[in-house]
This record gives sequence, C-alpha cells and structure tokens, in this order.
Amino acid sequence: MHIVRSFFVLFCILSSIQALNAQSCSYRIEGVVTDLHDGDPIFGAVVSIQGTDLFGQTDEEGYFLIKDICEGSILILVTHVECDTISRRVVVQSNTELKFELEHHINELQEIVLLENGITQVNASVQESRLNADQLTLLSNQSLAETLSSLPGVSSLKTGNAIAKPMIHGLYGSRVAIIANGMRLQDQEWGADHAPNIDLNGFESVQVVKGAAALKYGGDASGGMIVLSPQRIRLKDSLYGTSVLNGVDNGKGGSLSSRLTKSFDNGYYISGQIGAKQFGDRKAPDYFLTNTGLKETNFGLTLGRSKILKGWQLNYSLFQNETGILRSAHIGNIQDLLRAIEAEVPIRIDPFGYAIEAPKQQALHQGIQTSYFNHLTAQSLIRLDYNYQINSRKEFDVRRGNRSDRPAIDLTLQTHDFLGSIQWKKGFEWEFEAGMNAFLQDNYSNPETGVKRLVPDYLKYQLGSFITGNFQLTNVFRWEWGLRFDQVHMDVQKFYDTADWIDRRYRLLYSDYEQRDFGTQLLVNPKLNFSNFSAQTGISIGLEDNFKTTFSYILTQRAPNVSELFSDGLHHSLATIEYGNLSLKKETSHKILFGIQKEGNQFTFGFNPYLNAVENFIYILPTGVEQTTRGAFPVWSYEATRVFMWGWDAYATIQFVKRLDYTLNTAYTYAQDVSKDVPLIMVPPFNLYQQLKYSFSGDKMEIQLVHRMTASQNRFPNTNFEVNRIESGSIIQREIDISTPPKGYHTLDFYFSLPLKNQSSLNSTLRFIVQNLTNTTYNDYLNRLRYYASEMGRTFQLQLVLKY
Amino acid sequence: MKTHFYTYQILSIFLFAGFLACTKEDPVLVEEQELITTVALTFSREGAPSETIRWTSDLDQSPLIGLKSNTQYTVSVSFLDESDPGAVENITNEVKKEADEHQIFYEFSGVAIEFEQAPSDVLDSYQNPLYVNTLWSTSNSGSGVVRVYLIHEPIQKTGSARSDFGGETDIAVDFTLQIEN
Repeated sequence: MHIVRSFFVLFCILSSIQALNAQSCSYRIEGVVTDLHDGDPIFGAVVSIQGTDLFGQTDEEGYFLIKDICEGSILILVTHVECDTISRRVVVQSNTELKFELEHHINELQEIVLLENGITQVNASVQESRLNADQLTLLSNQSLAETLSSLPGVSSLKTGNAIAKPMIHGLYGSRVAIIANGMRLQDQEWGADHAPNIDLNGFESVQVVKGAAALKYGGDASGGMIVLSPQRIRLKDSLYGTSVLNGVDNGKGGSLSSRLTKSFDNGYYISGQIGAKQFGDRKAPDYFLTNTGLKETNFGLTLGRSKILKGWQLNYSLFQNETGILRSAHIGNIQDLLRAIEAEVPIRIDPFGYAIEAPKQQALHQGIQTSYFNHLTAQSLIRLDYNYQINSRKEFDVRRGNRSDRPAIDLTLQTHDFLGSIQWKKGFEWEFEAGMNAFLQDNYSNPETGVKRLVPDYLKYQLGSFITGNFQLTNVFRWEWGLRFDQVHMDVQKFYDTADWIDRRYRLLYSDYEQRDFGTQLLVNPKLNFSNFSAQTGISIGLEDNFKTTFSYILTQRAPNVSELFSDGLHHSLATIEYGNLSLKKETSHKILFGIQKEGNQFTFGFNPYLNAVENFIYILPTGVEQTTRGAFPVWSYEATRVFMWGWDAYATIQFVKRLDYTLNTAYTYAQDVSKDVPLIMVPPFNLYQQLKYSFSGDKMEIQLVHRMTASQNRFPNTNFEVNRIESGSIIQREIDISTPPKGYHTLDFYFSLPLKNQSSLNSTLRFIVQNLTNTTYNDYLNRLRYYASEMGRTFQLQLVLKY
Repeated sequence: MKTHFYTYQILSIFLFAGFLACTKEDPVLVEEQELITTVALTFSREGAPSETIRWTSDLDQSPLIGLKSNTQYTVSVSFLDESDPGAVENITNEVKKEADEHQIFYEFSGVAIEFEQAPSDVLDSYQNPLYVNTLWSTSNSGSGVVRVYLIHEPIQKTGSARSDFGGETDIAVDFTLQIEN
C-alpha cells in the first residue's frame, strides 16, 4: 500500500514538467531526516517539491540536498517506503535548512510525525528562551532560578544564597507559572522566600516564555511561564541514562544525580531518577556564612507506554530539602536591623559546619500524575492529565525554651489538578485546541506551632476553560490566538485579632463573614469569588535573510493569592509586620511584546522590547508603625496600584572564527507605580551576560569564560524609616536605609570541559568550573538578605557527567 | 486498549469527586507561645516599701518611674504573658533556666545611673550575671529614659552597650525616669 503510494508520488514527480519561470531559481534546500524517537538518521527518504521534478534522497547520514529551487511558495513532500507521505508548505526566499523527524516504526505505528525541532515552541509569536540538556547539566549544582538567570530577561529573587525564585521581566511568585511534565507546579509560590520545589536534573530542557502565552496552563501568569520537559522516550529496546557528580569546595559539598530509562520495542518504558545534594556553610570572600547549609534529596519514577498514536504515563515524584538561613539574618527588632546594616561583616560568624539549625526551612513535595493521550484520527488528539500534589513546608525560627525544634510555620498544601484537552487540525492551515482545567487546593496551617498562622486554612476551587488556535499559511506566516475563562472560589477560615478586624473597618464591610467570637480573636470565614478572563493573540512573520518578526498582545487576569489577601505575621529577616488585605480585587495586565530575530550560522540575534500596563497591581508597601514588646515595627500591607512597565531583552551570538563563539544576553526593565509616581520596588537592574567559548577541534575540549555585569538599580522607592537608639546616654534618631540598592558588580566564571576516552556505550565528560573567579565581594539588590552578608566568594567545582 | 483509557479517566474523576465531597473542619485557635505582654520592674530601697512599675503592650506611653537621687535600689525584672488573664505565665523562669542563651541589659538616656549585678542575681554557667536582679545607683536629679532589653542568643555576654551583645532582641521597652531629690 505504502509502496504503491510512494511509487505514485515518484511517478507524479517524474512526470510533472514545470517550466522554469523568470524568477531566481538558484536556491538550495538542505537538511536531515531523522527518526523522531531515537534520533537515528533515516536513509532512503525522498524529499521532493510538488509540481516540479526537483527531489533529493537522504543518504546514510539522513542528509538531503535539493538545488535550483525557485523563489516563492512550494509544497514539500517527504516520502519513505515505510511511512505515509507527508507534506509541508515552505516559502523560499533564501537557501533554507530544514529538519524533518519521522516515525518509521511502521509495524505498530501508522503515523508520521513531523516537527521542526525535537521540542516544539510553546508559542511561536512570543519570544522564548531555552536551555538544553548540556546547559542544564553544566549548572546542575544550582537551583532552577539561578540556572535560568543566564537567560535574557530572567533574574532570580533570592533569600540568602540557597533560596531563589525565578523572576521574569521583573515579576515573580504567582505571576510566574512553572510547568513541569505538562502540569503546573503547585507550592507556596506566593512567598518571596519560598523557592520552587523542583530539581532540574529530572528534566531535559527548560523553556522560558515571557508572557502567559500558553493559556492552556493558566491565564494568570502575567510575568511568564517556565516549561520543564523530560527527556523524550526512545521507542526501541534500549537502556540509557545519565549521571552527574559534582564536588564543590565552597560549602565542602556536592551533588549526585542519576537518571535511567529502559524502553521497549512495544512502547513500554520505565524511567527512574534520584538525586542528592549536601552542602555545609557557604563562604563569602572574607567569612563563612553561618548556617547556610543545604540538604536535598529527590526521587522520580515514571512508567508508561507510548505508541505515537496513543499512550499513557504514570509518574511519581518526591522532592525534599532542608535549607539553612543565614543565622545573622534572624533579628529581633529594628535596632538589630540597624546594627546589622552598620556592621561590615555578619554579626555572628561561626566556624564551618554542616549542621543546619534554626532559622531554617524544610520542604517536602510529592506528586502523582497520570496522563493519557490518543490521536482519535489523523487530525485530532485528545489529552487528559490528572495530578495530585502534596506539599508540606515547615519553617523554624530561633525560639526560646527549646522551641526552636518546633516549626513556627507548618503548612500542608494539597492540590488536585485536572487538565483535559482536545486538539484538531483543519486542513494544513488551521490547528485548534480546546479544553478544561479543574483545580482544587486545600491548605492546612498546623496550630501546634504556637505562633499565629502566617496564612490561614483555605479551600480554593478553580474551573477554567480555554480555546486556542493557530493559522499557519506557510512557514513564514503564523497567527495565534487564545481565550481562557476562569472562575475562582476561595473558602477561607482565619482568625483575626478582634481589635484589628475593627480597626481595619472590616466589621463594617464584611460583618457577614464573621463566624465565631473568641474574645480577643475572631474566627472569620470569607468566601471570595473571582472571574478571570485571559486572551492572547500574536503573529509571526518570516522575512528575508532568515529574519523573523513577532508581535503579540496578552491580557491576563489574576485573582489575589492568599498571602496578598490574608498574610498576618512578623518577618524575622526584615523586621517587618506584614498584613494582607481582604479588599483586594483581581489584577489585570495588558502586555505587548515585539520581537525581531535573525538565525544564522555565524550570526544570530534577537531584540525583544515589551510594554506592560497593570491595573490593580498588588504589591506590599510600608503603611505604618506598630508598637510591640520588641519595640516599634514597621508595618507593610498589601495594596493595589497602577503599574506601567517596559523593557527589552536582547541576545546575540557571533562566531568570530571557526570554533570561537561569543554570546551576549542583556535586559533592562523599567517599572513605575503610576498612582504614587514612584519606581516599583525589587525590579532587576540592567544586566549583561557575556560568554566566550572556544571548542578544540580534535577531542572536543571546550573552554568557556562567562562575564556577568549587574548595574546598580537607580530607580527604587524610598522605604526607609527612623529608629531611636540610646547612644552614650542620649536618645539619637537614626534612619535605617533599607532602600538604597547596593553598587553594581562584575563577576567572572570559568568552565573547562574535557571529554574522556570513551567506549561506544559510555560517553563521559569531566568539567572544571570556577565561579566568581576573582573572589569579588558584592551584594545583589534582588537578594532580600543583602543587608546581612555578601554573596558567595570563589567556588571551585569538579563535575563528572556519564552518559550511557 | 480502550479499557486503559476508561480506567484512568474514571479513576481521575473518582479521585477528584471524592475530594470535593470532603468538608474542612473549623481551624483551632493557636495558643501563642513565647508571647511577652508585660515587663515589670520592681524597685526596692532600704526603709521603703517596694514598688512595681509595669510596661504593657496596650499602653500609649512609657510608664513613669519615680526615683530618689543618690540612692541605691535593688531592681528585679520580670517578663509576663498576660494575654490570657485566667492563666498568666511568668516567662522570667524560662529566661533564668536558659541563662546561657539570654542576657538582660539596661541602657539609660538623660540620667546618670550606674547598674551592677545584685547579690541575688542569676549567673550563667560561665559566671556572667544575667542582670535579672540588679543594683541601680542614682546620682543627680533629672529625667530620662531607661530601655530594658532581653537579648536572645547574644554573641557575647559582657559589654557596656546593647551593641556589644549581638543576638536578637526579644524585648526592648522604654520606661520614663524621674529622679528627684
């Protein structure tokens, strides 16, 4: 049957006689055809151009070449004896490289899958940045946020040196969605000091989309989305894996991670992953950062069967860590804060140790996921995902009476998330996806802590539906659009201080929510509803000389999170009392992104400016002073304002000479609180990342030098406050300068990769890495503990990567 | 193969629906521990009844302490949790028990008062005074402020100013001093 069809196609090609017309007919199309699943080249595939007698046949390397192609729109056919014929429309304006991936397990699999890359872009009309497996491995020692911070427009918001949250275009927390394995990661993403509970070593690639472009995963991530994808399973009998071993001198620790996959011809596979990490106290250039150790273990197991047309997967993952927080950052009151800011070095420096004492955090994250997909017809695909995540977090403060062993915060967050979608194609041009997302979240705040709950108990229900579509006329024009509607319901039970409840006029506004009176405390049961509408549209146009331009508009609406609504407590590291605000409304963001990029062998660049206007932007700001037994405390409360942001990301890679590559990533963000006419707090300053890489020809040795420059942030709001202190017998007023950002800084990193002599079945690489090569002392504006200590000093690292 | 599909679909719906049916129990009131609502200073001198002045968190201004000039007082401090009037907790005992991890300290402004450990003071395991019981010696008349500190996990246990001790401040409250002839 297929053979017949192939012959027919060949017959068509050979018999068609196309007169050469007047336009230029000197272009070449070349490329490779590989197997979708094992990456093997496919030999003997015929790549032809419909309506002409031009064709090429792939060699043993899968390579094909077609010459003398005329300018204009053509239809390319790829045929192989073991496969169905596929076609793709391409506009030829220059010499073009194409990559086809075919599935040729014809015995069981009746379909050919065609993709431009192994990984499809999340959204073609929004610029995306990507880290591949090698880049991830190189930085496998670090957290997700730090790894991503080499990408333009991505920064990391840190609390000390181990806790880091990714920030995209100056936004973080609930405004950035992390999608792992096709489902959104649910943890305490609202807290600035809560790092995402995920280990990068389980994933093969990371894509960062700077906007809520993939409405399928949510319409509230105005900052952007981070999509983590696991390794694609090979559909043949094989056993393969990767192990990475890191040894690090700073913190005298290291990490080990291993991944092993066994796949079978019949589509079954099993994949396991383990990882462990331990560090002692880290070291700044001149002193130890006492109590900054880290312990982490993670485990993942995936079972599944993939048969291209349909498949299922069952996945379990566990992530556990214990992170020390710099001892000197645990302070009692604002006089302590002033003393810490005035001190040149942290107030408490102990000798090196591995012990992790209070203050510290413990997190345990477990997830079970099942997914199923089925190509109902050649034109449609149904996909179902269900995910259950249980996330427990304990935070320990330094407490009196041996209570330091008892957590001050003890939260258990359970989330059920269901995502079902159907995709279908209409002709060659149209593709649609529609689906439904149901979500239930239950937070339990353990009262055994003996400390007022920071976030209350709540149930959150969310029901979302979406439809997205794209229209692709040729490979040079693509139009995308999407709509999403979410209904959010929160059922919260919280104790308020009765006096506070009345002071903040809640008794007048929300007396309906009052449930029970406990005297000085009042149990309140707010039931809140939010309806959010999100939409996205964008186009991507290919221009001459491999230039491409994109334009996109994204509307997102986000319901306030529990922390913004209900936060209630003392922050020991900043000596502030934080209050949520029950009156907050949903946040609406309009984001316009523009992009121009050029792909090439010697020169690639991209420039991506954007505008972002946010109504009801929820943020925290100082609103007063509260007298306590520890002295006066500044009070910070959540409020809403209007914010206007703009900025740009840019990147370029240049090949100076053969094997010498230069990469530049740079970004700038401007953010202004329009209502108050002051700059927004915690916005990343201008930064620059440069990399110079030389690859040796023979043994593929590689040397890399990385330079990072972070400018000083000159745009910041003044949140300073006064404190009185007794100095030599008199009371003196002092200003505490918590606003002024630290000076800009430069750091240098060095990487050396040495591939070891290998057998065919084992591929190993030894790397030597030095971070902060010059042992520079610097402080980072985006580190919330910058008042207490400098960033880490020089770090030597030895890495062994084994691929088998 | 179709059975696979239904099994998983039904399983997921079942799990989801099962969870929806659950209702949440009312949360329990947190019993705040380590709360100190009251700092009390008891002054005694020879030939007069002792007097206790209390700082409580609901006061609008610093409580007034009236002292006589050129007089020695024995001053003892106590820390109380009076958030539940039915069960007042004396935190001072906990502080005494953990003398190594604590330090009480006084700083004066506007008046010249010298203080030292009282014979009845509590010592930590290195024989440093905790200053829970102190002797205050007033000199000239005048008015000023005394700031009472309870320091947790100080980096050192001796010093002449608050900044010498490090650690974190558990208590920092002001009393107004009026010293008369």
